[in-house]
Amino acid sequence: MAGDYKFDTLGLHAGQSPDERFGSRAVPIHQTTSYVFEDSEHAAALFNMEIGGHIYSRLSNPTVAVLEQRLAALEGGVAAVAVASGMSALFLTVLALCSAGDHIVSSSQMYGANINLFEHTLSRYGVETTFAKPNDPDGFAAAIRPNTKMIFGEVIGNPGLDIVDVPKIAAIAEQAGVPLVLDATFNTPWLFKPLDHGANIVIHSLTKWIGGHGVAMGGAIIDGGNFDWGQNDRFPTLTSPHYAFQQVNLWEEFGPLAFTMRVRSEGMYNVGPCLSPTNAFHLLQGLETLGLRMERHMSNTQKMLAFLSAHEQIGWVRHPSLDDHPDHDVAKRLMPKGAGSIIACGVKGGREVGRAFIESVELASHLANVGDAKTLVIHPGSTTHSHLTPQAMQNAGLTDDMIRISVGLEDFDDLAADFDRALKIAGKSVGGSK
Amino acid sequence: MKIDVNGAEVFVSTGGRPFDPDGTVLLLIHGSGQTHLTWLLQGRFLANRGWQVLMPDLPAHGLSVGEPLTSIPDMAAWCAQLLKQTGVKRAHVVGHSQGGLVGLELASSQPEVVASLTLVATALSIPVNPALLELAQSREEKAIAAMTDWGHGREGHFHDATMPGLDQMNFTSHVMASNETGALFADLSACASYDGGEDAARSVVCPCLCILAENDRMTPARQGRKMAATLTDAREFVISGAGHMLTVEKPYEVLKGLRGFLPHPA
Ligand SMILES: Cc1ncc(COP(=O)(O)O)c(C=O)c1O
Repeated sequence: MAGDYKFDTLGLHAGQSPDERFGSRAVPIHQTTSYVFEDSEHAAALFNMEIGGHIYSRLSNPTVAVLEQRLAALEGGVAAVAVASGMSALFLTVLALCSAGDHIVSSSQMYGANINLFEHTLSRYGVETTFAKPNDPDGFAAAIRPNTKMIFGEVIGNPGLDIVDVPKIAAIAEQAGVPLVLDATFNTPWLFKPLDHGANIVIHSLTKWIGGHGVAMGGAIIDGGNFDWGQNDRFPTLTSPHYAFQQVNLWEEFGPLAFTMRVRSEGMYNVGPCLSPTNAFHLLQGLETLGLRMERHMSNTQKMLAFLSAHEQIGWVRHPSLDDHPDHDVAKRLMPKGAGSIIACGVKGGREVGRAFIESVELASHLANVGDAKTLVIHPGSTTHSHLTPQAMQNAGLTDDMIRISVGLEDFDDLAADFDRALKIAGKSVGGSK
Repeated sequence: MKIDVNGAEVFVSTGGRPFDPDGTVLLLIHGSGQTHLTWLLQGRFLANRGWQVLMPDLPAHGLSVGEPLTSIPDMAAWCAQLLKQTGVKRAHVVGHSQGGLVGLELASSQPEVVASLTLVATALSIPVNPALLELAQSREEKAIAAMTDWGHGREGHFHDATMPGLDQMNFTSHVMASNETGALFADLSACASYDGGEDAARSVVCPCLCILAENDRMTPARQGRKMAATLTDAREFVISGAGHMLTVEKPYEVLKGLRGFLPHPA
């Protein structure tokens, strides 16, 4: 990487030039569907992606582009495409690489919808997935086939918090000539930049820490530009004639941008999960303070871990920063600033006490999201991961008593008081009904 | 297309269009440590507007194999050979940076094949900082980082781009990193040791255009003006706010400059 502004500076400035006409300092919301062409030649050149510019907001939009460029800068990618949600980011990535008959190797410990997309949706279209444990590099290696088009995992798995040993898996992927795609939602580029450690494509649910305010859905695909798509015939979507631009070979004409061009010219064009300009604006507002927020998320997480570990009504606490986490060493090596602000724990007394706890907290919010500035709690088994079969639940490391905490930015004393009170109420309520 | 030039298979982009050597041919030559992707936002546009475009990756660059060429005259001879092998009798030549030196050399040594010469961010000589040369040999990735840093102007450093979602600085450094190890050092050495620019410029007879970047830190615009003054028939086209990597940074302006100068393709 070139001599560049540092993380917090990029978070505030990257991707934007103050507009020339009005000098607006904030990123303007370009709430428009379409853009006036200079003339017919300009229009044709834009449609054929011969020059840069905007045509129609399903394909690109100036406000969304600032967000894309800022994310590319923060992750160290050659380009990014922002989309409507984290799920559409994953889907468009698969769409750009895989066709019927192709194969994916994926981590087994992930967000329920990520698993379901592979297991139940893509399988209907002839794309098969083999799952491997995130902390078992040999398992990944053994699962790779000649028709494998990507290796996928969540850097920090939701909600079990298993860690993918990125450099190890990246070496396996490179050896096999397969790109490593990682969901970096839980780590954010502030904790860990996968592209610096050998990953090739990063996807995000921007809905979470990047936004941080819980007001806007969004996703992004960041292209590392560091994969040789032309090394063999494995990636025909990028190296054989593309129907969209007069049979152009994307790898030859766009080089490190080939994958991004496929995503934009097919994923956005033919599927179209575009991010609204207003949501992009909100996500940019969040991104401006990502560094500051992450510092506080991580210090509050440390305090919460100490609090929970010492609390008599907590049966177990799981977080990669704790010595007894199976991936503790990997986490320390890859993420010295901490392994995210999600904590899994079990309340003594099992599922019913856990339920009572979640219903008794007042400051923490019971809802289906993570990465908000506000502290959140949920029981994954009956909500976010409830669409998984009992076997898949077990495979995903989910126990029935697990509670997931997304540690927010509140004054920690207030959080501790809220949790302590709710734990006591929960203990009593279930104890009393016995 | 892939063709054999002097025994090595090289890649020459035709902008994704079939190539006709009898049309109005444009030969676009990339600079030190770059590839044909220098012309990402000009090449396909021109190819789709009737020009017959040849954008080679020099040996050991981009998708071309082979040993890197080590002098500007060798590169010019290589380009002449490329034209010969593709059946081109006369071409409008466009060169960026080191590619401009190659263009000067080609136009002075083989005037019959060069219909016009466009020199983009070029000067009569491109002295190379010895520290950079040393880095290119010992720690290439550092040299790439330094060149990417110096090569981009304000918009590059603010990660803004006309192509939505593009990060120019990271794009440039990845393009450079895609070359064979040693290619950058060979290029920079060739630039450093080339002192024929002034003589070449004096002997060029074809019409010339100098596209200069106002904020160019690698081949400063004032050096470009000196070059324009040395050439017999040269126009200047200065792009404000641009750094050395102006083809990606100010792509549309570069196209405007080119189209204001080049003849309409037949
Ligand atoms: C790790 C992870 N990836 C992807 C997603 C999907 O993101 P979104 O809800 O923005 O579609 C989620 C969230 O819900 C998630 O936790």
